[in-house]
Amino acid sequence: MSEKHAANRREDLRLITGRGRYSSDMNLPGQLHAAFLRSDHAHAEIVSIDTASALKRPGAVAVLTGDDALAAGYKHFPNLLTFTNKAGASLIKPQRPVLAHGRVRFVGETVAMVVAHSAAEARDALDAIEVEYRDLPVVVDAEEALQPGAPQLHANVPGNLNFEWDTGDAAAVEQAFKQAAHVTRLKVVSPRVIPNPMEPRAAVIGYDAAEDAYDIYTNSQGIVMLRWQFAALTGVAEDKLRFHLHDVGGSFGQRSAVYPEHGALMIAAKKLGRPVKWVSSRSEGFLSDSHGRGIVMAGELAIDKDGKFLAAKYQFVCDMGAYLTPTGTASHVRNPAICTTGVYKIPALYANFRVVMTNTAPVAAYRGAGRPDIAYVIERLVDQAAHELKIDRAELRRRNFIPLDAFPYKTPTMGVYEASDFNGCLTMALKAADYDGFPARRAAAAKRGKLRGIGLSTTIEGTAAGMFPKDQIAIEFNAEGQLEVFTVALSQGQGHETTFAQIVADTLGIDATDVTLRESVQGKKLEGNHTGGSRSLVGAGSICKVAAQKLIEQARPLAAEALELEPSQVEYAKGLFTSRDGSKSIGLLDLAKKHAGANPHPLNLMAEGSVAATFPNGCHIAEVEIDPETGVSKIAAYTACDDCGTVINHAIVEGQIHGGVAMGAGQVFGEQVMYDKASGQLLSGSFSDYAMPRAGWVGGINMNDHPVISKINVLGAKGVGESGCTASLSSLVTAALDALRPLGIHHVDMPLTPPRVWQQIQRAKQLQQTKAK
Amino acid sequence: MHQFSYLKAKSLADAAALAKANPEAKLMSGGMTLLPTLKQGLAQPSHLIDIGGLKELSGIEVKGDVLSIGAVTRHYDVASSAAVAKAIPALSYLANQIGDPQVRNRGTIGGSVANNDPAADYPSAVLALNATIVTDRREIAADDFFQGMFATALEEGEIVVRIVFPLPKRAAYEKFPHPASGYAMAGVFIAETAAGVRVAVTGAGPGVFRWSDAEKALAGGLKAGALDALTVDATDLNEDFHATREYRANLVQVMGKRALQKLLA
Amino acid sequence: MAKIQLTVNGASHTREVEDRTLLVDLLRDHLGLTGTHIGCDTSQCGCCTVHVDGRAVKSCTMLAAQVNGATVVTIEGMASGDKLHPVQQAFTDCHALQCGFCTPGMIMATAALLKDNPQPTDEEIYHGLEGNLCRCTGYINIVKAVKQAAQTLK
Repeated sequence: MSEKHAANRREDLRLITGRGRYSSDMNLPGQLHAAFLRSDHAHAEIVSIDTASALKRPGAVAVLTGDDALAAGYKHFPNLLTFTNKAGASLIKPQRPVLAHGRVRFVGETVAMVVAHSAAEARDALDAIEVEYRDLPVVVDAEEALQPGAPQLHANVPGNLNFEWDTGDAAAVEQAFKQAAHVTRLKVVSPRVIPNPMEPRAAVIGYDAAEDAYDIYTNSQGIVMLRWQFAALTGVAEDKLRFHLHDVGGSFGQRSAVYPEHGALMIAAKKLGRPVKWVSSRSEGFLSDSHGRGIVMAGELAIDKDGKFLAAKYQFVCDMGAYLTPTGTASHVRNPAICTTGVYKIPALYANFRVVMTNTAPVAAYRGAGRPDIAYVIERLVDQAAHELKIDRAELRRRNFIPLDAFPYKTPTMGVYEASDFNGCLTMALKAADYDGFPARRAAAAKRGKLRGIGLSTTIEGTAAGMFPKDQIAIEFNAEGQLEVFTVALSQGQGHETTFAQIVADTLGIDATDVTLRESVQGKKLEGNHTGGSRSLVGAGSICKVAAQKLIEQARPLAAEALELEPSQVEYAKGLFTSRDGSKSIGLLDLAKKHAGANPHPLNLMAEGSVAATFPNGCHIAEVEIDPETGVSKIAAYTACDDCGTVINHAIVEGQIHGGVAMGAGQVFGEQVMYDKASGQLLSGSFSDYAMPRAGWVGGINMNDHPVISKINVLGAKGVGESGCTASLSSLVTAALDALRPLGIHHVDMPLTPPRVWQQIQRAKQLQQTKAK
Repeated sequence: MHQFSYLKAKSLADAAALAKANPEAKLMSGGMTLLPTLKQGLAQPSHLIDIGGLKELSGIEVKGDVLSIGAVTRHYDVASSAAVAKAIPALSYLANQIGDPQVRNRGTIGGSVANNDPAADYPSAVLALNATIVTDRREIAADDFFQGMFATALEEGEIVVRIVFPLPKRAAYEKFPHPASGYAMAGVFIAETAAGVRVAVTGAGPGVFRWSDAEKALAGGLKAGALDALTVDATDLNEDFHATREYRANLVQVMGKRALQKLLA
Repeated sequence: MAKIQLTVNGASHTREVEDRTLLVDLLRDHLGLTGTHIGCDTSQCGCCTVHVDGRAVKSCTMLAAQVNGATVVTIEGMASGDKLHPVQQAFTDCHALQCGFCTPGMIMATAALLKDNPQPTDEEIYHGLEGNLCRCTGYINIVKAVKQAAQTLK
């Protein structure tokens, strides 16, 4: 795909020359620095906190504790899950003061905040705070937290169960299972991961007493979402919250939320009358950034004698950690519910979700946010069923794909799929991956002493429909008459400055360098959705096109006036308004410059629209080689065939797939969050213990696309940010399992670390030896 | 990081005097372990005595049948030295597997040996090659130097000056790096020395150790497959959430086998 | 307090800082060179990579006092005027960056890698970038950029 667009993104120049501006680069005059004392107990009552000696430390200005948090009333975090279950019950939301009060519930929870003249002095003073804890029993595993007698985290969350919700038709499913010729059952884990965008969290917050307003510099996924959450947490009116957003060093869902540290900084900034800055260390981040995934999934698939799927049912146990984050519940419940049928026609479906508290860091959305998890369990079921029924995996899929003539396809749970060509994607991917030639590659690997397997996934995901009902885009002309496009989206690496400008420029037929994108600008009265859920191009990007089309019509009368013609006599093409006979013309940008300085500029406009969820899908095929002596897995080949609808910028789309697949590879082979069962301490709390994907984990990806243009939005795009992750978990794991099945191994939970794989191989060998005897 | 005073030693004697005068001081060579330790608040020295720049502690020299490497010689310099590549290619290879390029540009052999991290690479070479650790006070045989996790024969304020490696007939190192830290989960160094075949293991146990079964198996000569039938007793090996001691025992066997294959290739 | 004199990107600077000041803090907080980033506190991520006397180092794991008298090059010193360094050019050409946070360190590590090994193989590139983490790109385009830069620099 690459040849169609070179990269050279608009944002690159500042980022490759060291001129990017990230949160920790922001400084305000007169600022103080904060450091947080974090709980080193996973579950304990706070008996006492003595801050007196900390205040006497050099440079210390103030120490805040849970009392200050309660006095401010900062303890109710908003939550995106607002629906009730069949019994009418709502999600139980435990309180979370921004500094812990009375009790701590996970290692890393904010207990106190020191404000000092320098960051080093603030950190120094933390040592002088004396906290007496009385330990309580700890539970770090969600299934254990549901057991009778488990330690209870919150008085208002009986049994640690915040919410139980089900969807689908349980009776129909039971009926179908009774008729099934074959049932495949699995219990799999999508283990907890730590998002670790490379930029640590940071914020500088100032308080403007004259306006009773706050100036907030922080990492974000978009101004509207963040403003709403800040307001919900603090009770401060949205128009008193002024966000100054800038470059963001990755996010992956981790930055869509307001955090306790934000609230504490606001309290301090107001109390002290000076801006307060905080930059997280990575070690703090491991403990206190929102984590992702953490779902135990049981799945059952009922199949008839012809290999047709009859029904499926799922049970999700979702570990939310010690408190609810704004996004975690919706991402673990609503998102997977939309795609319980996968890419298959499964007439009867039922899914049950339980949302559970444990003494661990709170969990939020993480790239895919529930979509990779549901796709993983479905694809594992299909893979397992194919093995059990001795049907080729591609063939079993073909028998069950939702056919082309069935769209729009209303799934038995929550989704309505737009048109897709699953078989087309599969066929293209199989050919590109040389699926038929695999036995020879397996034999060659065996000669080298390696176990080689091939795995495929055919997955689909619903992109975010958007919490805010509309996306708005403004086009404005600045004092020099230059075209600026405003959106409330915010790139964290997705390249909006390039792509959105390209959409506007292509629509207008002008050079993209004549269009400048401004994201999440304070004071612009625009509504819309933040950047998350693979949504921005589909939502804001589409409205960019609508806005550009509107601009042409808005400019036409002015062009006609300039050309001394009637508007109907003026045609527009390639940036020029031209008279019918071609004798007279004026460029759109020249016209804009003519009116430069007018207030407001007569060509300024706002466009809006509601853009529903789209359904990107694809087929990924992985080949994995396992060294049986060490258990090391290597990705030997990877082929992707994606349908993300219309591609605006191929380089950027490929980059999203690369990054998504690598993140999947991280979860599949390396990333392992480990809490000590007894103490609740995080054992995998640094990059020295937590294996992030490194150069070479994914050597290369054979990229293909098979677009079915979306009809839901004017671009025809389907979103791509999460596709790589959604597809790769199952393609990689089933490839590894395919390598291991000859040894009698049919299940290994992620992450497939070398010791874990090796252990499975030893067990299988022992079992075979026992059988032989 | 807590407060400390930075002292740049002007000479070896100056460093020794500074160490003596400041009992709570720590010597720093490359700082690749020490500085992260301080950043995590795991140590609070009163002073850091920087010996990293001392000329008398650096340099690589082959004289007769020994290779001598100054204590503050950086991993990069060892890895890229033509003299080392000629004298003990396995040592060049090992040096090039430590940490990452940035670490190799700063970290030193003396620092690594004096710290004796149980998963560091160098101790295996020092022990297998039967090297001598020369300090400002005495010479210590490798067999006496390493005394378990982070423990060595070094006395308070004693400074490693250089490591002297007798040239082996042949040697090879194979390592299984920890996927996150890059440290050895198991590293096996096999050397055919004047004192016989010596095999040292790092990463798997609480400290570098000689693998006597392997040495016995190879005593009659380095033959292909000589280590294939060996099993490693896991009892005293490390176990943590990354891997069981049985897995580490297996790695020792596999890395040993591969080191032997490499050595014979 | 330590008095530090050093040359950064060709300009000489003298600063007095606490002995415990890290090189990265000297660069960012005292010299305003915020292109060098801090992505971790355990010397793993490589976001803070700069060149000290021609070698790539992690500036979060060196004291400012240790660079007294040294010559330092940061990401801000890589381009000559408007002309990008070939490694910078390759990174934008190959879409080797997304969020850009790891990029300065990645570029500095790449430049140093190519100095030592002008024509690295894929495996040598992986080995040469072991000290740098990226969460966005999957490294695929970074490896591509290293190869393009190697060609340009040949």
